[in-house]
Amino acid sequence: MKAVKRCSVLTSLLFLFFAGAACAQSDPGVRGGAAGAGQPLASVAANTPVTILDFFNDGLGRFSEVDSVSGTIEAGVGLGPRFNSRSCAFCHAQPAVGGTSPFTNPQVTDASADGARNTIPSFVTANGPVREARFPFFFNSNGSPNTNAPNGGVEDLFTITGRSDAGACSLPQPSFAQAQATNNIIFRIPTPVFGAGLIENIDDSTLLANQNAQAGNGLGVSGTFNHNGNDGTISRFGWKAQNKSLLIFAGEAYNVEQGVSNEAFTQERPLPGEDQSTGLPTNCRINGTPEDHTNFNTTALGTSSDVVGFAIFMRLLNQPTPSTTTPGGAASISRGRSLFSAIGCATCHTPSLTTASSSLTAGLNGATANLFSDIEIHHMGTGLADNVSQGGAGGDQFRTSPLWGLGQRIFFLHDGRTANLLAAIEAHQSNGSEATQVEENFDSLSPSQQQDLLNFLRSL
Amino acid sequence: MRLAALRFPLLVTLAASLLLPVHAAAQDGGDFSHNPDAQKLPTNVILLKGAWSSASDSSTPIPESGKVAESAYHNDYFGLRYALHPGWLEKYAGPPPSDSGYYVLAQLRPADTSKGATRGSLLIVAQDLFFTPAPASNAPELINYAQSHLPADYKVERPPTEIRVAGHSFVRFDYGSPVAEFHWSVLATQVRCHVLEFVFNSRDSKLVENLVQDLDQMKLPLEPGATPGASSGDLPICIKDYATEENVVERVDPVFTERHFNSIPVRVIVDKDGRVKHIHFLSAFPEQAKAIADALFRWRFRPYLRDGQPVEVETGLWFGQMPRRVAAPSAGAVNE
Repeated sequence: MKAVKRCSVLTSLLFLFFAGAACAQSDPGVRGGAAGAGQPLASVAANTPVTILDFFNDGLGRFSEVDSVSGTIEAGVGLGPRFNSRSCAFCHAQPAVGGTSPFTNPQVTDASADGARNTIPSFVTANGPVREARFPFFFNSNGSPNTNAPNGGVEDLFTITGRSDAGACSLPQPSFAQAQATNNIIFRIPTPVFGAGLIENIDDSTLLANQNAQAGNGLGVSGTFNHNGNDGTISRFGWKAQNKSLLIFAGEAYNVEQGVSNEAFTQERPLPGEDQSTGLPTNCRINGTPEDHTNFNTTALGTSSDVVGFAIFMRLLNQPTPSTTTPGGAASISRGRSLFSAIGCATCHTPSLTTASSSLTAGLNGATANLFSDIEIHHMGTGLADNVSQGGAGGDQFRTSPLWGLGQRIFFLHDGRTANLLAAIEAHQSNGSEATQVEENFDSLSPSQQQDLLNFLRSL
Repeated sequence: MRLAALRFPLLVTLAASLLLPVHAAAQDGGDFSHNPDAQKLPTNVILLKGAWSSASDSSTPIPESGKVAESAYHNDYFGLRYALHPGWLEKYAGPPPSDSGYYVLAQLRPADTSKGATRGSLLIVAQDLFFTPAPASNAPELINYAQSHLPADYKVERPPTEIRVAGHSFVRFDYGSPVAEFHWSVLATQVRCHVLEFVFNSRDSKLVENLVQDLDQMKLPLEPGATPGASSGDLPICIKDYATEENVVERVDPVFTERHFNSIPVRVIVDKDGRVKHIHFLSAFPEQAKAIADALFRWRFRPYLRDGQPVEVETGLWFGQMPRRVAAPSAGAVNE
């Protein structure tokens, strides 16, 4: 943050003398031009094996589908009774379907779509990031957070109450104002899923070998892995690497974010702690469960459930294509790439890892995933801690965020707190963070070197 | 009589509740509560820790308990005192010990007023040789491992070389990044079966050299493996893999109530009678630490004899899921 403040103060002073003067280094901003992501893997685009492209397109269609409660208003079935948005593609939108928060926040429309009567929380704004909210701790009966009662589950923003297809269902929204007043709320923004099939197909042994190769780094970095609670293998999806596979990831998101029960998460989901004895009110349970399921009345593409379709779509999405010239030109980007490694960013943001052999398609088979992540979870200190535990990850541990596609992202960090890349870099430094020394190295670069590094990141 | 006695407090409670301000009923965990006077959570504090470090008592020094005070970094566990370069400070504390036994003991740097080429940093880190993922059992091997894994565009400026610093044997290894114009100098020694490293970094190679020369003023125990510590009496002898079937006379396995699949590195000090005297959990969930402590305090070891006399031993054990390693660390790591 300090560099940003320094920068803005400097800018203000210079402006007094030279109108239009700017800082020596600055975030080039969201890279324009065509979306560098959103296409299928090359082997999928070539329809190898035969019909795989049909499955990709079917998954894309499902991912883009808008849900209503019973499928009578919009085609999708099962929305709510609690939800954060109405379609995967509403939130995973930038710069293409499968990405992350778009410029215009769809949640503002979701709040009142089809007659819904939701209050829009103050942290959801028209041009802000798509957000889900979590309360790190349950509240005491007097409304104070109880630090002996960890919560951390998603508090869905909206309910179907008032929608024309919701019948008599009447549910209150959580007390977001109370949570904000007591600092008992954190946010998450959508993770982009481009190249997700490559991440899924990196063998544990590859991740472990990469971890071992970093032992003895002189940077204060030493991460660990989150593990799947069932078989103990390395989990890898989500902000804390809490999900093992894309199928689990899809099933959880469909249930938690859109309120659609499915074959992976079979019940309608109440809020954490919401009337666990009897569950949601009967008149809010409008459909039989699971609402999304295998379709037994067809043998065509439509047989699969939505969550299977989502997982196929994400698995077959190609990794983002970086620009070689924008922003700043090829030479600056090349220097920035070297600096990225030289100052230690690449210790955690591993530039590339190789996938295992794949039974699905050539594009996933022994492929180079330029993900810029080690898939480890690292202590990120007090400045980024959200006090939410997921699997083995504690309140300040986060998965190294893959940086591919970063050039066309709008919002940064797990909660979307900034749209300024410099601020995101500075946030890596705080008490208890493994990245403090690397961030210190960034601060020690000259302004032109910092600009090269920023240009490189925005080329991704 | 009994009913009447109950009735009075009930009435008082009822009356009191009518006088209290009316809040919306806390419904099912309080997600719907409204109380403007509710207590706030502190900001910038890690309240919910995952696997973290802890110890069975607070009086026995542990590696991460070092502190910067009075312009010096003090570490009672390593018997270390390092006077900070003038104008330097610790702005941010390091992370907790890792589950591979890596410690960031101190991150030192000039005050914010220093900029550009005069910037620099000193990272004091330690790697527990009982738990390192690198195939290394001493400081030279660990530094050689680091050299073999340097990024391709780094340039070795001084290959690992044995030198004397503050009367102790160190390995010095210098390297640089031509593109970033950074210079690093790593000085490593071995204390209590840890590799203790001083990692200097600056764009100014002269500053790095001055800082390295300053290191000669620090205080360390007389010699790795020597018994007198800087702050207390005799130090235990550290021996890797001492908790073998041959040496553990009585063993009780911990009973875990939850599965986490994490690796739990634990250092113990065994007293002269073979009882566990102190436990240091480098990384464990609280309930894991409790279960392990309950078990370990019931273990009995064969007393370790030196010159025919029993002495205290410090050793390491893994609990939970054994770390999955692609290269086996070499055996060894003993200070005797």
